[in-house]
Formats: sequence, structure tokens, C-alpha cells
Amino acid sequence: MARSLWTGSLSFGLVNVPIQLVSGARDLDYHFHQVHEKDKRRIEQRRFCSKEDAEVEWEEIASSYDLDGKQVILTDEELGSVEPRKTRTIEIEAFVDLAEVDPIYFDHPYFLIPAGDSDGTLRAYRLLADVMESEERIALGRFVMRSKEYLAALRVLVGVLAIKTMRFDDEVRDPKDVPTGGAKPKKKALDNAVAIIEELSADWKPGGYEDCYRARLKGVIDKKRKRRKIEAPEPEKEPSPVPDLMAALEETLAQVKKGKSPEKVRAAAAAADDT
Amino acid sequence: MAPRSIWNGTVTFGMVNVPVKLYSATESKTVHFHEVHRKDGARIEHRKICPKEEKEIPADEIVKGYETSPDKYVILEKDEIKAAAGDRGKVIHLEEFVEREAIDPVFYEKTYYVGSRDDEDLYRLLFEALKKTGRAGVGRFTFHDREYLVTLRALDDLLALDTLRFHDEVVEAKELDTPSAQRKTSPKEKKMASQLVEMMHKTFDAKDYEDTYRESVLDLIKRKANGEEIDLVGEEEPEHGDDLSAALEASLGGKG
Repeated sequence: MARSLWTGSLSFGLVNVPIQLVSGARDLDYHFHQVHEKDKRRIEQRRFCSKEDAEVEWEEIASSYDLDGKQVILTDEELGSVEPRKTRTIEIEAFVDLAEVDPIYFDHPYFLIPAGDSDGTLRAYRLLADVMESEERIALGRFVMRSKEYLAALRVLVGVLAIKTMRFDDEVRDPKDVPTGGAKPKKKALDNAVAIIEELSADWKPGGYEDCYRARLKGVIDKKRKRRKIEAPEPEKEPSPVPDLMAALEETLAQVKKGKSPEKVRAAAAAADDT
Repeated sequence: MAPRSIWNGTVTFGMVNVPVKLYSATESKTVHFHEVHRKDGARIEHRKICPKEEKEIPADEIVKGYETSPDKYVILEKDEIKAAAGDRGKVIHLEEFVEREAIDPVFYEKTYYVGSRDDEDLYRLLFEALKKTGRAGVGRFTFHDREYLVTLRALDDLLALDTLRFHDEVVEAKELDTPSAQRKTSPKEKKMASQLVEMMHKTFDAKDYEDTYRESVLDLIKRKANGEEIDLVGEEEPEHGDDLSAALEASLGGKG
């Protein structure tokens, strides 16, 4: 069963639903530990006071902030005092259309599941889920978890309330200084590019993409266990821009129309270059 | 100030190669503190200690180990870990194009801005074509010796790259066990709830939502700096009323 990361309540107008927050993503990465090479013992990180040169217990640690050169020290209790009074509540502030929220704002996925199984809780949960599902709207709210406030987008996925934490507006950078190339494309070039995209269109099927990095890293670990030699693949050369854009577009379009994959198209072009 | 790029490489679109650079599109504004010793305000240092020798270990004696059974490690050298990164350090091949809006938000991890490395027209061409079709190119991107699944798409007036979670990293709703209520919600309750949703509907503008918690932490720091006494208040739990219809009616009445 999913582990609850936070319990609280979801408030929708004057309706309160007791809920639990569980993660919507799982970490499947291979993780490494720091090990002392000589004796193969796992390194421990310990906290030392730089003045006394002695180890310090967790309880003796405070948080320090540099306010224009002045050191301000805060204890955990003092920091806890600013958590909003309704810190255990996700209050729905507005309903918006999902398409209006760019993915750039999205951070971590979670699910909200009912806390407890009283009929009142389950009915309120079901009502909110049903209504949101039929209205095709997402709700925005915020909550505080581990000393950080999160803006969250609330949706319904297969009858379950799902949330995505979001970045605040000032956490998204202004792209105005990013260089965005030259002139607008000529109509013919654009038509060709659009035609290539149409030819290579596919349905989004997430199950079709496997994490090859994870699989390769597992291969490396297994080889090392068996004391076999590990060799890095030769890095692929970075291709240089083509001299004749129109010709490259037309040739690409002709190839993909014949059902060739982009990989085959590139391979054919590379082979032609070599001769 | 011009932004600093974090990666240079080439996006391939069939035989067309577009030289690009990437920029961070997001930055955390969470208030960060240093750990200090309560007693004397001195900085805390994190030291790496070998529990067998009970002494601090210099960085060059520390290696990465993968734990195969308790306290048994397979040691991997930097180059060996690098070998897993694959061979595409500098290229992103767009393999296929999917409808941008078909990708559920659960998959999105982090977004980068994509800039052009030259003044040629290739960048604009790819941008305009992606914008016109509403599609995103799917490819793989290697960053800091790790490979990511990514989509390249048009965002306002530039290209953006999103890293995506893999399907098995995403928890599906059906894996969760949510019990259903014994008494169904009534049509009247549903109608009231729908009305409430409509009343609270608005156009999304990210500027409407500020990190109020961050503001109060900064305010707390200033109050403490001025020598103010900090009031340690407790938190309040809202009440869970059991009468759903009454709560809905009151919500509608209160706002209407």
C-alpha cells in the first residue's frame, strides 16, 4: 500500500475532506553510496561545529540566514511559527482549464486518497471527484509540507484525485534573452517540415519508451560484479549543419514517405557523405 | 545579463541538423539557511567519516559503491558509470512526433529553454513547424552522464525541452485502493457542487499565486533581526462537518 507522506484535509468551499497524500511517482534509479576505498566501509556524514571542532547533535543545530551581512539565527520552533494556521489544509482557491497551465509549471505528481473510511469522508471525496471529472476543470490550491509551501493543481485520474505540485510564477525564468535564431522560414520550407512531422506522427504511448540508461547502468553493475571489463561506447559525432536546407528537407520527406525511420534516414545520409 | 547555457548540442530532424543550447527555465526561490551550532552560531561542517577508522576521509579515498547485500558493495569507477550514459552525448534525435496535449501532466519533470547557436533559419523552421502542428518531437537527451526521455515543443515564441518520467516511474490511479461510499451522493448535491465549481472558475494566470509562505519566512527573519520576540503559535485543524448538503448550501450562499 502506498505510504502516506502527509495527512490533512482538502477544503472545497465549506466542505472538508480528510485526505492523505501519496506519491504519484516511484524512484527506480540505481543509487550509489559513498564508500571508503581502502576498507569498503560506508562513509558516514557527521555534523561538526567549525569553532569547537567537535561533533554536534541534531538538536543543537539552528538555521542561520545572512540578512545583508547580519547573521540571523532561527530555531525550528520559530520557523514552525510561520506555517500558516491552516497548514494542514489544501484549500481550493479556483478552478481553471488544464490547457491554460503550461507544463513548465509542473513539478511532482501525487495522489490524494481519503483518510479513514467514514461514510461522510468517502461521500465528500466521491462528490468532488465526480464533479471535477464531469466539468473537465482542474482545481488550484496550496499546502505546506516539510517547511515549504506548494501550489498544486488538482485533477481526477480514473476516479482518484491527483495533484501536481507547481512552481510559482517567479520561479519560472523570463526567456527574453534566449537567442531564437534567424528569419521566419519560407513557406515551402515550412510546408516540407510540417509534412515530415505529419509523416512521423505517432500516438503518445508512454509504454513504448524504456529507460535505457537504467538498463545500461544495471549492465555495468552486473559486469563489475563478475569482474568483467567495462567499455564505454564511442560517442556519436555531433553532426554539422547541412549546406542546402531545402535539399535536406526534400530528401528527408521523400525518405520518410517511403516509411523510413529518422534513424534510417540519418544512416543513409551519413553513408552518402562517406562516398 | 545574458543567461548562461548549460548544454550545447544538436537536434536532428531527419537530415536537418539544428545546433542548439539549453538554458534552465526554472529556479527555486525557497529561502535557504545555513546550519549553525545553536550555542555559538558557528557554521556546521559535514565531515565524511569512515566508521571503522573513526576519522575524516579525504575525497580522493572515497568511491561510489552499489550495495548488493547489507554492507557489501560493488565499487564503480567514474568512467564505468559514464559508460552507462550511452553514445549520444551531444545529439538529440527527434524520432517521432506526438500530440503535445496528449501527454498527461504526470509525465513532466522539468523544462529547459532551447536557444539557437547561430543566426541561421533552422531554429525558426523547427519552431514554426512544431507550433503549427501542435506536436512535440520525442527523443533522448544525455545530461551529466544520464539519459533522459524528452519532448521538444513550441512554447510561446521559443523551443522548450521537457524531461519526462518513464511509464514505470509513474504510479497509476488503479494501483491505489480507494473505498467507495455506502450512500451515493444525491443529484442535488452534485448540482450544488457543479455550481460551486462554476462560481470559482477563472482564467489561469500564474501571477495570481504567490508563495505566501516564503514571504512570511523572510518577514520572520527581519523580525528576529530586529530583536522581536517570536510568538510560537500552534496550528488549527478545520472541522470535518458530516452534513455534506448543508456545507454545500452554505458555500453557495456565502459566495453568491
